[in-house]
Amino acid sequence: MTIAVLTGIFFALPLWWILISAFRPELDIFRYLDPLSAQSLIPFRLTLDNLTALFAGTFLRATFNSIFVAAATVIIGLVISVLAAYALSVLEFRGRGLIFLIVVVGFLVPFDAVAIPLGEIFTDLSLRNTYAALILPGIGNGLAIFVLRQFFIGIPKDLKEAASLDGAGTWRILWQIYVVNSKPALVGAGLILFVFQWQAYLWPLIVISDDSMQVAPVLLAKLQGQAEYGFDPGQIFAGTLILSIVPIFLLLRFQKNFVQSVATSGLD
Amino acid sequence: MSSTDGVPVSAPKPSDIRRPSRVILEGRRSGPISDRRGGKAKANKRTLAIALALLLPAIVSLALFRLWPAGKAFVTSFEELSGGFGFGNYEYLFSTPDFQQMIFVTLMFNLAINPIQVVLALALALLIQQRLPGTTLWRMLAFAPTALPIAVGAIVWNIAFREDDGLVNSFLATLGFDKLPWLTSTSLAMPAIIIMACWVGVGYWMVFLLAGLNEIPQSILQAAEIDGAGWWRRTFSIVIPLIRRQLLFVLIAATVVNFLMFAPVQIMTSGGPNGSTNLIMYSAYTQAFGFNDQPLAAAHVVIVMSILLVIVGIQFKLLKSKDGDN
Repeated sequence: MTIAVLTGIFFALPLWWILISAFRPELDIFRYLDPLSAQSLIPFRLTLDNLTALFAGTFLRATFNSIFVAAATVIIGLVISVLAAYALSVLEFRGRGLIFLIVVVGFLVPFDAVAIPLGEIFTDLSLRNTYAALILPGIGNGLAIFVLRQFFIGIPKDLKEAASLDGAGTWRILWQIYVVNSKPALVGAGLILFVFQWQAYLWPLIVISDDSMQVAPVLLAKLQGQAEYGFDPGQIFAGTLILSIVPIFLLLRFQKNFVQSVATSGLD
Repeated sequence: MSSTDGVPVSAPKPSDIRRPSRVILEGRRSGPISDRRGGKAKANKRTLAIALALLLPAIVSLALFRLWPAGKAFVTSFEELSGGFGFGNYEYLFSTPDFQQMIFVTLMFNLAINPIQVVLALALALLIQQRLPGTTLWRMLAFAPTALPIAVGAIVWNIAFREDDGLVNSFLATLGFDKLPWLTSTSLAMPAIIIMACWVGVGYWMVFLLAGLNEIPQSILQAAEIDGAGWWRRTFSIVIPLIRRQLLFVLIAATVVNFLMFAPVQIMTSGGPNGSTNLIMYSAYTQAFGFNDQPLAAAHVVIVMSILLVIVGIQFKLLKSKDGDN
């Protein structure tokens, strides 16, 4: 029981600290920390100043960039993954096993490992400071393809054969039999694509130098690093809160799907 | 695929499958049936063409955004300062004390953090499995930090680790301990990063282990309990062996993530003090963008990729062994 409480404190306290600090007047954030007192953890004065100040600056734009990049990646990525998964699970052709191996192993090499040389390539192609630069590396995702493929394999073949006999073409079969019946896998794959972009840090740091194109986590780190230019912890906490709301909402909404398709597909 | 191995298989339930209506299917009856007459070889060729067309976007993105930069790094890493072509960058990397320290620090970091994260994730999963009051709340609390981008976690902990007025030290002071110079001491900066990374990551790994734990039949545990096996005995002799696949998966996946650890180093310590947190990805980044030494950065990248390829190879073996005849 003691362990449970200590663990709870380790995980919960920083979260609570972020939450209250985001709504505290700037002066209060560090004032009550030494020594700890009731005031440290229970705010008596609350304000929205941090949030309004944060949104008056470049952060609003950066949050929009993050959401836009993640949404575009999910949409394009799902199309690419569904097509590939269909070819790798439903169609039977020579060399399928080999292509599957190449696709999955190729994508299993984490993107961050090649981010630095890819940054050079994107610089040569004059793609720096563009949305394309942020979105492109995220759209092909081996795990998303894998999750969808595993699900497609579980859909009975006789459905496809019946439709085929009735004259349905590839697109119709793909859409009406596979896509329509794969909601949990689509949600799982969508979350994988989303998390890739929401977590991105090294890549945007490399290819984006223009603050108006930057994603929110990098901008927030930059704001925090500029201590000498009036480091404002209240705004940092407010930004942290904003950046956790979107994924927490998505994860709570789709937790079951997430656990089902992501957690287990790692092994299936 | 089978579900006998302790992991639920993510396949659709028959009752969930929506069948297209007869009308839609029959509406196309008059369709190109002649396609099916060209004999098997022609049909196979056609299938292959369709398959390749469908795979094209995925293969192109793989080629452009993974293979091309990987190949480029490989070639660049052999370009020497003198203009020659050879192992100069690697020799320099492995013989210079700063880089030797970087490699040592990276290895020690991984030897420490990976087992810690696996053990903590397991402890957390077992704790939640106990169904203490408020299980859902514990579970959400442990999982919530996972929602934060690791960079944002690092930003918060950077403030929490401040020596004079950070949350961590004020907590220590209240408990009667001395305040510690977390991020400015060569011996504490790495532990600080590990603590931060555990806060962000452990809840995520826990989900995988919890999925494994939920698959263990309660009857086995009850039988062991009746036979007089205590909690520790049950955990070590029954539970852990039954979820070893999940444990191995988490260990491998965590190793991949931690080998690439970058944002916390850049945000919290800049590799310091005195190189004590100079992990390989941060070192590669500073070579590429601080010193503009692309060949040396490329050599870093090749080393990271080689290590990861081995790890990923093991991971793929795990994936495959579950995949049956497919």
